[in-house]
This record gives sequence, C-alpha cells and structure tokens, in this order.
Amino acid sequence: MKITVLKNNLKNSLDAVSRIVGENNNLPILKNVLIKSESGKINISSTDLETAIIKKVAGKSVEDGQITVPFSIFNNVINNIQSERIDLEAKKNNILIKTDSYEAKIQGMDSEDFPIIPKIEEKNEFFEIKGENLKDGIVSVMSAAQISELRPEISGVLIDIDGENIKFVATDSFRLAEKTLYGSEFTNNFERGFKIIIPLRPAQELVRVIDDKENVRIYSDGSQFMAETDDTILVTRLIDGNFPDYTQIIPKNISTDIEVSRSELMGALKLVSSFSSKNNEVIFKIIPDKKMIEVYSADSSLGENKYLIPAKISGEGVNVSFNWRFVSDGLKNIDSETVNIGLQGDVKPSVIKWPQDNSYIYIVMPIKD
Amino acid sequence: MTIDELWIRSLGELELQISRPNFLTWLKNSRLVDNKEGDAIVALPNHFAKEWVEAKYGKMILGILRTEDSSIKKISYIVDGNITKKKEPLKQDKEEKQLVFNEFKTDPESGLNPKYNLKTFVVGSSNELAYAAATATIDEIGSKYNPLFIYGGTGLGKTHLIQAIGNEIHKKHKGKHKVKYVSSEKFTNDVIWAIRNKRVEDIKNTYRNADILIIDDIQFIGGKEKTEEEFFHTFNALHENNKQIIISSDRPPRSIPILEERLKSRFEGGMIVDISFPDFETRAAIIKIKLQERKESLEDEIINLIANKVQRNIRELEGIINKIVFHSKHNSSFDISHAEKIMNEVIEQSSVNITPSQIIKAVAEFYEISTTELIGRGRKKEIVEPRQVAMYLLRDMLNMSYPFIAEKLGKRDHTTAIYAFDKISNNLNKDPSFNQKMTMVKELINKS
Repeated sequence: MKITVLKNNLKNSLDAVSRIVGENNNLPILKNVLIKSESGKINISSTDLETAIIKKVAGKSVEDGQITVPFSIFNNVINNIQSERIDLEAKKNNILIKTDSYEAKIQGMDSEDFPIIPKIEEKNEFFEIKGENLKDGIVSVMSAAQISELRPEISGVLIDIDGENIKFVATDSFRLAEKTLYGSEFTNNFERGFKIIIPLRPAQELVRVIDDKENVRIYSDGSQFMAETDDTILVTRLIDGNFPDYTQIIPKNISTDIEVSRSELMGALKLVSSFSSKNNEVIFKIIPDKKMIEVYSADSSLGENKYLIPAKISGEGVNVSFNWRFVSDGLKNIDSETVNIGLQGDVKPSVIKWPQDNSYIYIVMPIKD
Repeated sequence: MTIDELWIRSLGELELQISRPNFLTWLKNSRLVDNKEGDAIVALPNHFAKEWVEAKYGKMILGILRTEDSSIKKISYIVDGNITKKKEPLKQDKEEKQLVFNEFKTDPESGLNPKYNLKTFVVGSSNELAYAAATATIDEIGSKYNPLFIYGGTGLGKTHLIQAIGNEIHKKHKGKHKVKYVSSEKFTNDVIWAIRNKRVEDIKNTYRNADILIIDDIQFIGGKEKTEEEFFHTFNALHENNKQIIISSDRPPRSIPILEERLKSRFEGGMIVDISFPDFETRAAIIKIKLQERKESLEDEIINLIANKVQRNIRELEGIINKIVFHSKHNSSFDISHAEKIMNEVIEQSSVNITPSQIIKAVAEFYEISTTELIGRGRKKEIVEPRQVAMYLLRDMLNMSYPFIAEKLGKRDHTTAIYAFDKISNNLNKDPSFNQKMTMVKELINKS
C-alpha cells in the first residue's frame, strides 16, 4: 500500500473512528485501525466488536493494499506533524510515515487478523434521511437513555418506523423522551414497519460522525443496523429485546396544564437548584389563583430559596417535586419561547412539550415526598 | 453423542489449533444448535464472530466435526444474541424517593409483573378450586388443564392468579419455558399494529413461540373479528402442540355475548374455574397480607370492620387500607370511629354519582330488554326477574324508599318492592351464578 494524503483529511477520518477503537485484552488488534486502499479509494476502519466505523479519507492512492496500525501512536504522530502533505507506505507489517522533514516507522499488525466487518448486503430496503434530521431525532431523546446491565432493552434508542412516521424514544425508567419525525422529513422504502433498538454508544457515535448536510441511508436486517453516507459507514448490532410498551405511560388525564416561559424556567431551575440537596430535588408549587409557579428548594445545612415565575395555569393547584436535572434535560430539547407542562398530581408522570406540538414529548416521574 | 457433547469435543480440538485470544474472542460463546441430515447449524453471539469464524475457521471446523460425525456435509452459521447469558437482575431493596414508571417493572419478554406470586395469594373457599387448578397447571404444564379458564368479577384476583402462575412457572423451571402474558387489549393493539405495518407474520411468531400463553380479560376481544381470528389460530397452533394456555374473563365463556361460537367451544374444552366473592375470614386475611406488604399494622378491630364493610372488591379494599393507614400515621388519636368515617366517605363516594335512571338503563341493557318494558306493567317471566333486580338495586345502592321504587317501576304497590328485595337477597345468598350476574350488572351501572 502506498498513499498520499493531506494531514487534515487524515486527521478528520482518524477522529471519526477514534472513539470505538477497542480496549480488548483478548484481542490486541482491536487497538489498531485498519487502513485500506482499494481500487484507488482509501478507508480507515475501527471496531470494538459491537460497532464498526469505516471512514473514507480523501487522498491519492499510488498502490492498493492494507495494514493495521496501533491507533494511539499513529494518531499522536499525525496530530503533531507540521507539514500538510503526508506519504504513507506499508512495508511488511510496518507503516512508513514520511513528510519533507520527518520520517517514522510504526509497527503494525497483519491486516488479515483484523476482524471482518459484517455489512448488510441486502440493500433494497432502506430509509433515507437528512443528517441533521437524524441527529435531531437521536439528540432529542439521547439524554434520557442510560446504559444498564440489568435492563439491556432500555440501554439504547428505540427507532420505530410505521410507514408514515419515525419515532425516536429513550428512557431510563425515571423519564422518557419521544421525538417524532413526519413523512416529509425522510423517504422510506421499507415494505413494512419495524422497531429496532440501537445501543446508546453507537447512537452517540452516529451523531458525532454524521454531517448535517449529508444524506444518510439506514439499513437494518433485524439484528444489525447500518448507516451509510457517501464517505462514512457505521455498523452496529441491535439490542435484542422488547422496548417497554411506553405508550401506556403517556399522561392522558392532565389535571394541571401550565404554559410558561422556557428561558425563565431554565434560569429558575439553575438558580434554585443551588440549594437542592444530593438528590437534586426541587419543589414546584403551582398556584393557579396567583397565576404563578413557585420553584423552591431547601437543604437543612445550606438554607432555602424560592423563585416565582408567572405562568398560564388551568386546572388544580398542586405541589410536586422533581429532580431538576431531569426537568432541565427535557427543556433543553425544546426550542420555543414557551413550554407546555402537564401534571397529573404529585405521584404520577408529568409531561413537558412544545405548545401546540406533539412531535416532542418528555415524560418525567416526580420525587416522592 | 448429543450435539452438545459433539460440540464440546470439537471445541477442545479447535482450542489446540488456534491461538488462545482468538479462541476466547470468537468461539467461547458458540453452540451447536442443530445437526440434521448432514447440515450442522452453529450459533455465534454476534455478527463479527459469524463473519470471522465462517471465513477463517470454516474449513477447520468442518474437518473436525467430520472426524467426530462423518455424516456432516456442511455447516451454516447463525447469530443468536441470547447465547451470552444475561445477568440475573439484582434485587434492589434500597428505598429511592425518585419514582419510576411502574409499567416498566414488568418483564418486557414475558409481560409479567414480578410482584404477583402465589405466596401473597390468599386462598379461601371462594377461590380454592381456582388455586388448585393453578398449582396443578404449574406442575403439569400443557397436559393437565388446557386451556385453563378462570373467571370472576373485577377485583377478585384473576390477574393476580394468572400472573402468579406465569411467575411460578418461570421460577420453578428456571426460564426453560417461554411465558407470554398479554392483556386482550394489548393483543388487539398488536394485531392492529401488525395489520397496519404488514407484519402479521411477526405477531404469529411472537405468540406461537410461547410455551405458556396467558391472556387476561378475554371478553374484550369479543366482536373484534380480525383479533378473534388471529387469536383462534394462535390458540389452535398452541393447543395442538400441547402448549399451555391460560385465560381469564369476567364471566364464563358461554356468557360472553359476542364471542364466536368456535372460540367458546374451545374454551370449554379445558378446565373452567371461577373465583367468587371472598368470605369474611378470607377478606380479613387479605387485609393482613396487604398490610404486611406495606410493612404497616392496624388493630384487629379496624381490620374486622373493613372486612365487614367491603365485601365485593379487593381493589376497593386496597384503596381503603391505603387511606386508613395514611390517616392513622398522621393522626395519633386515630381509632375505630375515624376508620368508620373514612370508610363511609369512600363507599359513599363510589355511589354518589349513580342515578335511578342509570340503574334502570343498565339492567335493561344487561337483560337485553327495553326500558319501557322494564318499567311497564307486563308480567312475562323474562321481564319479572329484571324488574326485581332493578328494584333490589335501587334499594341496595341508593337506599330509596319502597313506595318510591314501586312507583318508579310500573306504579305498583310498595309490598311488591319489598317482596322483590327479599327474593333477590335470598337468591344472592343461595345461588353463586346469580351473584355473578349481579356483579356484572353493577359493573355496567358503574361504567355508565
């Protein structure tokens, strides 16, 4: 293999694959990345045996071939090289790095020992979506997911496609976020609807490696997931299990309906939470007569504080406690002047959403008194 | 040699031929799942392993397997994520104030809520038979009573019992049997989803792969043709293969009005047991267990009072216990008179919105006659019983005066109303099936 690349191009591609370079004591080659030049195209791949990323490198290929190199030393060298132009050449199991003024030889390993990345061959069925929409869908719900060994089925992001819409859903069983993208925001040629759960880490990686402007094609064969753009491929296993039937927790009997300024509520949470104790508890006192929400928190060793926010309130007054971080996570994904909060008393789930819009809902459980 | 032995021997051989890291990474969690007509199927935990083993060790494995069993012609590889053992969930006793979505506590694979078990199921004369049938089913899955059909009014423990059967089977047989619990509403939703997304095959697979299928409140699928049909086929498929089916309903199969005949007759082919109203002692025992679950206690006096007042619905019983426990905690001088007051409030609350016309309408609807007939003067047998029931209910639920009741139902003498009330009370004490009917009528009233 013999290639010439620009430093920045190589660096970008290395960044893209960097996070899933494996730490596997059984198989040291997972600490390496595979550099491959095939019919003039140059790719870098990494894998942790759960997820794999293949990223194209813009550059000139003189001679096809492939080699694996330890990621950390290679990355270090490339990051610190001063010159723009870099020549890479594989000699046996070594890689030679050359610039006008610098030369290095890194011991690699035989590319034959690098895991074969399983791809989905059946490419007739896929849906295609703008990078920014896909990222919006994942980012909107990601913060509600949590990696849990006990509950593998919620350690990821559910993607539910039913022909007309795509729903992204994540939960850690204390709160749940659901984002719906409507038909106009993607094209779908899957014959049938399906539900898949992508593990959280690859979902996060997907957000990192996909560019807003790119079109992403999503394939799935029921046990694997593949996202492909012109210069990136991400393959990952799917979580095998059933996502909980979450539709039954979506609040149906709202007893207190509130519309309040989003920025003011965010600010209030940040300020008031200074006094919240370890469990991040803040109390919302809903006072319909005064058209006010009082956000209150106290700690026996620190003191107490409260913040009054004007709000439009219909329904009954109630005091309800929340983990303020959970509430604030929900507010972050709403990009409007005001937000709508629906309460069902102080022990049942509450919902946060955009006013007059159901494309994003965030459900959160209160803290018990 | 079983296929497991065959595979273990082959693995031993393979271990010698490939490096240890490679063996551990790629083959540790492999299994030979099938070996029929020379076609061996090897399951691997993920796609990476599949690609790798297929490409790098395919020939080696075939060679080794053939020396052990020369009939093997080829090997296919499949991916089975379940090979790597899932960890048993740890018990989380730590009391957290942060509330969680309760619905998520149910096991997503089986749909069972682990809180239901047989230990907390109080057995009395009213549910002895059902309990015995349940334990027999747990011991002899699929062969003894199949299907097992349990019916009884709301709040008497049907769901508890059938979920407990599922949980006990799971525990006893250590997950060897695939249990699937589903409410008929969920089943209907699944069918609708499947039809809309053209994935009926998926539904067939999920339900027909179960070893034990438990369906709650089957009466709700009546009249939903496609769901009934899907259920019918699922039922047949499972029953033919001696898979256990457990069904609950609020009434016996014969009395589910819009259920297809072929389904009714199938339900009757197994064991039908009912759960009726618990007697006083059973109720008191239930209250004690509920208190134990909450780690609370109440004086015997109060327990007896509750058991006496709340006769027909365990769920209502739970609500009252919660309320009384709450008040007794916050009021140091709490005694039986307080308890009595609270109970009267709750019981009144539940009947506060009921009007005489609601009762009349519900009775007419239940017996499928018109309200004009019911309040008319006709004395046909088909109308007399409903009319007496209506009279009884007006007295029992609303405590109306006999002359008023008689006036409302066809301008009769007040003695007619007294006679009706006595007759129905008598019947209720003697005839359990009549009791059943009455509960259903009451449910209708509460629903309207």
